[in-house]
Amino acid sequence: MSRGNISLAALLWLVIAFLVIYPLSILVLESFKIAKTGGWGIGNYIEFFQDAYYLKTFVNTLFLSTLVLLTTTVFGVPLAYILARYRHWGKTVFTALILLPIVLPAFAGVFAFIIFFGKYGTVNLLLMGIGLVEKPINFIYGLQGLVFIQSLHMLPFIVLGLSAGFTNIDPSFEEAAEVEGASGFRRFFTVTLPLCTPSYLAGAVLVFLWPFTDWLTPLILGQVDFLPSVAYINISYHFTDMHRKYMGIVAVVVSSIVCISLFLLARWWVEKKKYTGLSKGTTSEGRVIEPSALVKSGAYVYMIFIAILVLLIPIVLGLAAFSRRWVFEPFPTYWTLENFRLILLESPGLIKNSFLFSGIALIFGIAFGLPVAYLIVRTRVPGKDALDFVITLMLAFPGIAIGVSYILAFWKGIPLAQYWIIMPIALFARRLPYFLRMAHSSYLQLDPSLEEASEVSGAGKIRTFFNISLPLLLKGVLVGVVMFFIMAFQEISTAVFLYKGGWETLPIGIYLNWHRGMEFGIAAAMAFLMIVITFILLLIISRIGGGVLKAAWGAGEN
Amino acid sequence: MAGFRVVDLPRKLLQQEVIQDNEISIFFKCDNVTSKEVIMRKRILTATIFTALSMALMLLPIFSAEVQAADKIGWVGPVYKELSASLTKGFKAYYKKTYGKDVDITFVRPGGWPVCLDKVRAWGGKPDADIFLGAGAPAHEVLKKEGLIVPYKPKGWDMVPADWHGMKVKDKGDLWTCFAPWIVTNLYNEKVLKILKLPAPKTWNDLLNPIYRGNIVHTLPYASGTMHEAIEILIQAFGEKEAWRYLRLLAAQLARFSTGSTDTTQLVARGEIPIGIAQPQMNAMAARKDGFPVRDLLPEKTILVPEAVALLKGAPNEAVGKIFLDWLFSMDGQKYVLEGRYFAARTDIKFSVWEKEGVEMAKHAQKALGVDSFWDLKVDFIEYDLELATKRWDEVNKKYEYEIYRKWGELKSSLFLIEEVEGEINAAKAEKMDVAKAEAKIKEARDLFEIDGKYAAARLAAAKARALLVSP
Repeated sequence: MSRGNISLAALLWLVIAFLVIYPLSILVLESFKIAKTGGWGIGNYIEFFQDAYYLKTFVNTLFLSTLVLLTTTVFGVPLAYILARYRHWGKTVFTALILLPIVLPAFAGVFAFIIFFGKYGTVNLLLMGIGLVEKPINFIYGLQGLVFIQSLHMLPFIVLGLSAGFTNIDPSFEEAAEVEGASGFRRFFTVTLPLCTPSYLAGAVLVFLWPFTDWLTPLILGQVDFLPSVAYINISYHFTDMHRKYMGIVAVVVSSIVCISLFLLARWWVEKKKYTGLSKGTTSEGRVIEPSALVKSGAYVYMIFIAILVLLIPIVLGLAAFSRRWVFEPFPTYWTLENFRLILLESPGLIKNSFLFSGIALIFGIAFGLPVAYLIVRTRVPGKDALDFVITLMLAFPGIAIGVSYILAFWKGIPLAQYWIIMPIALFARRLPYFLRMAHSSYLQLDPSLEEASEVSGAGKIRTFFNISLPLLLKGVLVGVVMFFIMAFQEISTAVFLYKGGWETLPIGIYLNWHRGMEFGIAAAMAFLMIVITFILLLIISRIGGGVLKAAWGAGEN
Repeated sequence: MAGFRVVDLPRKLLQQEVIQDNEISIFFKCDNVTSKEVIMRKRILTATIFTALSMALMLLPIFSAEVQAADKIGWVGPVYKELSASLTKGFKAYYKKTYGKDVDITFVRPGGWPVCLDKVRAWGGKPDADIFLGAGAPAHEVLKKEGLIVPYKPKGWDMVPADWHGMKVKDKGDLWTCFAPWIVTNLYNEKVLKILKLPAPKTWNDLLNPIYRGNIVHTLPYASGTMHEAIEILIQAFGEKEAWRYLRLLAAQLARFSTGSTDTTQLVARGEIPIGIAQPQMNAMAARKDGFPVRDLLPEKTILVPEAVALLKGAPNEAVGKIFLDWLFSMDGQKYVLEGRYFAARTDIKFSVWEKEGVEMAKHAQKALGVDSFWDLKVDFIEYDLELATKRWDEVNKKYEYEIYRKWGELKSSLFLIEEVEGEINAAKAEKMDVAKAEAKIKEARDLFEIDGKYAAARLAAAKARALLVSP
């Protein structure tokens, strides 16, 4: 245990303390402030749990979470099974398509579905056109729409986890069940599914937490009685009404606590439930079945159905982006490049900001993430597990909590929020786990003997790192870099609290333009541009090698 | 389980790697050939360096641009994007022409009037902008009362009337001046109403007709100044009791609450909900210009809103701020106001003249208003007590939120039950049953609902009325 490692750890802890622990503790402290007396106390919390309105929003959110989890599970289990087990054509294409929503900004989907499924959207107009219905059907404004949109967005987490689980099960378990005479269904429910619980839970917890994080989708759909939306409204509409502000902060803290405890619970549960097979029967591919023609065509129909829903997002946004005044007609009729001209030539600031902020965040991410990964994997510095733990927890923190805590912590005392550097810093803090996971898992795969050889031959630690470790790590790190960039690029729930005039990023521009109604072509063009950029970045990842991505993403481990 | 932690057993790792590479082939293409690896890594390294360099090149102009000191000005306020874009364009051109220098303009629109006002309050005496751009008289009166704005009399100030039909159009102490007047209206989508076979609602009371249930939208008074003004109009025109009764009944007609008045506009323009309450008058003009089939509705009781501008106290760029104000009230500036889809405020403006001078929006403004200048409009306004409105600004917003918005679900179910029981009583009456007791009880329920806003109690009373109907 060298002194260098310890001072490195101390330095990294300092950064964490400054960017994570300090702001979040300010947030918690603030929630105990009493507006009336100027004192402190738990009055706000008592009010929160006694006020029928807040309680209702809390229960609503729990209910929504349950519904979203149920929906994603019901649709995700067969999908994951098909993807992992059936031998079929187009596996790569379908997998990529179904995973697409992870990288798309959540609100882009909302806008696309409003254009498509709205009261006078494409579907309703077509139905009315052929005379099937007289008055438009309400597809999405309401709980059903919220569940649909959030489920589609979160579906990849379930599918990714489960399909990895299905692949990694030792086939001999299932074969044993079959030999003992268990039917297909019985085997599936008593052997296969239980073996997959750990990998399922890893994704499920993220799905369940999403409604506690996403304030924007409910707001756009006009369903505001949910915890994050109420917190957003309380904080961003009432910042001089101190009591309201504190109540909003209480709502943020409560949802953070829910998120973190569920996250930890799932982690503990998974740890306990982890199954270990003694045999070494796992084939590289897992168990792959050649299904009957009927089952196979059913599987295709099912996959195509989901893929179409996902593809609607880029297609609808693309149509809206290249047209103007697409209302009251099922498909646009007036084609133009005007929207893109406006974005690219008249207000290039948004694109510039997006690249600048995400780019700087990325540089911070690399400068911080690599040493952390090194510390965690290669050293025995005390407290390294805690470091890993704190950073991983950031996955569970709602964006609104980070945004609000930053504006509280860095406005007066340390006036960082008055300079634009706060934007990349916040993006860095929020998206750090994404980079760390990649760096971490590629470090694990690097044989230490190579580094040892270098050190034995007389190279110093730093030289070894740059000459040996870094080039070997490059693939994993690059995937991490691109993934981090994508996630920082589409971030809105933290940035929306911190931006000032001139600091708007693309996601914020989309949100603002959509709200100004007439400009939804511009909003769509911005969203389309984001999708294109994201897609190009995804292609880059796939060139470099996506295995690292999958391993680090969530549920890749067996 | 790598989502949480990767197990650190080297054996297991080796196994894992094999599996992962196969997963790669599912999701992404990846080559495992070791001899290629080295070349590949070199390429990646080169690509990385290249990317980093090109990114640095991209960033260069940004930093160099900041070195070159241009004059600066910041606006904060609730004006729409079209206006801020038009004024930015106009003022930049004017500044360049007059001072031979560029001016950097930042504009923030944190939300509707109340939100903008709160933003300025939150800044304390150290504003992050120079000009409060937009919002009606009550917002500016609050700013004045709290000492957040300072007086300035721009050139051309005399061309704006001091008051109109009893509404103050500019402050006597030069603290705020109206640059774009408008009237509080409602908005409807004529195409959608036609599809739904509904007539356009002409008056406030028309909106309570059950045929419109679920086809109306408005926002919360704290999210939008226009909505706040609409409530204030109702209170001042119909009296406190009647207004709150009306608002409760109107709330039961809503499809939903929107997040702001711009959200209302887009919902109506796109037909998602055909009738929008509390809209600035020029919204219909702007939306029609963009090809949306919407029209405004001047309700029988309404007011003028003097969209005003003021210089913030402690403004970091006060001198540029004053230049902007002078320009805003010049003929040139006022043209950019109209091009920004707001009505211009000077009395010496004729839309017909401007149309000849090539101001594109002049034609649309004339068509929307039916007169040649905004001040030629003949409307019947209510007597508006600005002082009273300013004083109870927060109180009204809060009352609406706590008594109507937060109990919206309860409110609706209560009213629907009352209506149901009323229907049953009428049916019973037709069958010549004795309904006297039930009728008295349901009247009590209505009063509890409309006057006291006690929705749960009203519901209970309605249930009792129903019971009385069966066994009097």
